[in-house]
Amino acid sequence: MIYLDHAAATPVSEKAKKAMEPYFSERFFNPSAAYQASVDVRRDYEAAKDRIAHVIGAKGADIVITAGATESINLAFNAINPGAEVLISSIEHASVFEAAKRFKTKEITVDKNGKILIEDLKKKLDKNTEFISISLVSGELGTIEPIAEVASLVKAERLRRKLAGEETPLYLHCDASQGIGLIEVKVGRLGVDLLTINSAKVYGPKGVGALYVGHNVKLKPLVVGGGQELGLRSGTENVAGVIGFAAAIEEAESHLNGERKRLGLLRNILIKELEKVPNIAFLGNAKNQLVSFVPISVPGVDAERLIFMLENEEIYVSTGAACSASKGIKSRTLTAIGLSDEEIAGSLRITMGHLNTEENIKLAGEKIREAIIAEQTRTAK
Amino acid sequence: MKTVYVGMSGGVDSSVSAALLKEQGYHVVGVYMKNWSKNLPGMKCPWAEDLADAKRVAVNLRIDFKVFDFEKEYKQKVVDYMIEEYKKGNTPNPDIMCNQEIKFKLFAETAFEDGADLIATGHYANVEDGKLLKAKDENKDQTYFLYRVTSEVLKRTLFPVGNMLKPEVKKLAEKFGLVNAHKPESMGVCFVGEANMKDFLSEFIDVKPGEIRELETDKKLGYHDGAIFYTIGQRHGLNVGEGLPYYVAKKDMEKNIVYVSKNLNEKNLWTKEIKLKDVFLREEAPKEIEIRVRHRAALIPATFDGDTLHLKNETKRIASGQSVVFYKDNVCLGGGIIE
Repeated sequence: MIYLDHAAATPVSEKAKKAMEPYFSERFFNPSAAYQASVDVRRDYEAAKDRIAHVIGAKGADIVITAGATESINLAFNAINPGAEVLISSIEHASVFEAAKRFKTKEITVDKNGKILIEDLKKKLDKNTEFISISLVSGELGTIEPIAEVASLVKAERLRRKLAGEETPLYLHCDASQGIGLIEVKVGRLGVDLLTINSAKVYGPKGVGALYVGHNVKLKPLVVGGGQELGLRSGTENVAGVIGFAAAIEEAESHLNGERKRLGLLRNILIKELEKVPNIAFLGNAKNQLVSFVPISVPGVDAERLIFMLENEEIYVSTGAACSASKGIKSRTLTAIGLSDEEIAGSLRITMGHLNTEENIKLAGEKIREAIIAEQTRTAK
Repeated sequence: MKTVYVGMSGGVDSSVSAALLKEQGYHVVGVYMKNWSKNLPGMKCPWAEDLADAKRVAVNLRIDFKVFDFEKEYKQKVVDYMIEEYKKGNTPNPDIMCNQEIKFKLFAETAFEDGADLIATGHYANVEDGKLLKAKDENKDQTYFLYRVTSEVLKRTLFPVGNMLKPEVKKLAEKFGLVNAHKPESMGVCFVGEANMKDFLSEFIDVKPGEIRELETDKKLGYHDGAIFYTIGQRHGLNVGEGLPYYVAKKDMEKNIVYVSKNLNEKNLWTKEIKLKDVFLREEAPKEIEIRVRHRAALIPATFDGDTLHLKNETKRIASGQSVVFYKDNVCLGGGIIE
């Protein structure tokens, strides 16, 4: 198998798996009970939260554990009230789009590489804006967004409001599901008020995520009950999941520089192979793109057919968005960067990671190239 | 080289059909008909998975693949028809309607317009000069569902598995390396199983509970949750009385009353004459014919006088709205709908 869909899911690392093991059996206790065995589990849980938070430059008490990025995003939007004015980029994940639908939302335009236009943001950010949500890295293109720049605009606007005696709050949320383990993600340096992170994308278990909540943000809970997670997310803690998340995110963070370099080399190998394909376009700007991403487009070719051809060779790639041309749904991201229907139908998202080596990337490059050319030949007939 | 558009559902039969046609040298185009995509309570519509399965097979056969979107028409011509019939107290057969209006009309027309010389499906049936013939596999024969297809369309239709036994088709699927060789068959109404018909209808029809009465005595025995859910002859699901089972013998749709009887000899449960409407015949029916009142039901000898069937032997009454299909030897002549 050559797995090239690391942006969709990652295998749980051995370290994370081993760390989780005891919490399914001998350390199964409810962390809220009074006896010592439970107290020990509570301590391990809180320590794990601290370790997760530490990776993003925060403290355990600043993060709320959730069941994944989608829930974190939904919770983040609970910072504002119905009727609030919201700004999101036009290439956000469906979870952001759907959450934003409940508010008065405007979209920030992106350039052809999927980078938000700061000028457009400046135009749309006015005295009534209460919430801005922009992903750190576009899940379809790998484009890294200028979050710190957005944060400084937010700070300036907040100061202006304060001086003018205006009381409308303004929060910046960043969906950092993609990126951790390949670029540094620190809430302080980014200047965000809310940050979503996800275990499943950093070689941890699925169904666990977290939301960093700055001290200035007042959140309403999404799930009520026994008052866990500071009352913001009730329900018995997913201890094993959080322990696994902590082990995985720490490990990813510790290999950040090495992994970035390694994937950079692999990316060059892959691009060199694919460049030989007639009419191929590499999406995004490599200089401002997560190194694991190689999104391509070959107009005239049906990418879904390529996926099925490649799966026969046990090579797994995706079309990026969880939809396909044959189902009549177009990728919002690829539409927003100005691709034609044909270019969208012919686009593949290749995302590399731990499961890739020089050898398998070279082979995958050849096989992908062959599959595309075979399709080009077949349709030319 | 002739161009054949094959309706591909993602199942084994249509996949093998496409593979056989390719082997026979046709220019084959696989088509998935998107007829329904809505999820309903307790029913996840598998269309996306089916479409992916169909496309996967097409890719592996190196044939073109298209999606025809018939959702609007399917809702109008099949689902709305079905709902209206149930409202009238009838028990319609949506599969027959789907073949008549969608697969062998709209799909055929769209395919021919798009450049097809012929169409094909994975049905178990055979064609000869516009005649519909029973399948080789008696057990799988689907002519009951196809009885209303016109000769004009049949003349341009291929049923590549019609002359095969199901086990042979399964073996071929493996030989061709089709990924869905082991996919379980879809049963019943194309999109709802029989068990879910009640849930499905409840989505579209405002159903009211009513009384269940004994036919002979008019005595109230209990309540039902909607007369449309009951079919004449039905025994299960009545939840009234003890001892011998009750059968649904009559329905009063206006008053929403279901009449039941314990008497298996009750005349409402048996019949020797079946009055038909909407008779459709591809060729004139001879005096002596055989009829089938359900998919895979035994053939019964009968004569037809133009609007009524006269059966040789008394048979259990069949619900109005169901189809009776006529056969002479191996030929499916057509049929009609019970009044």
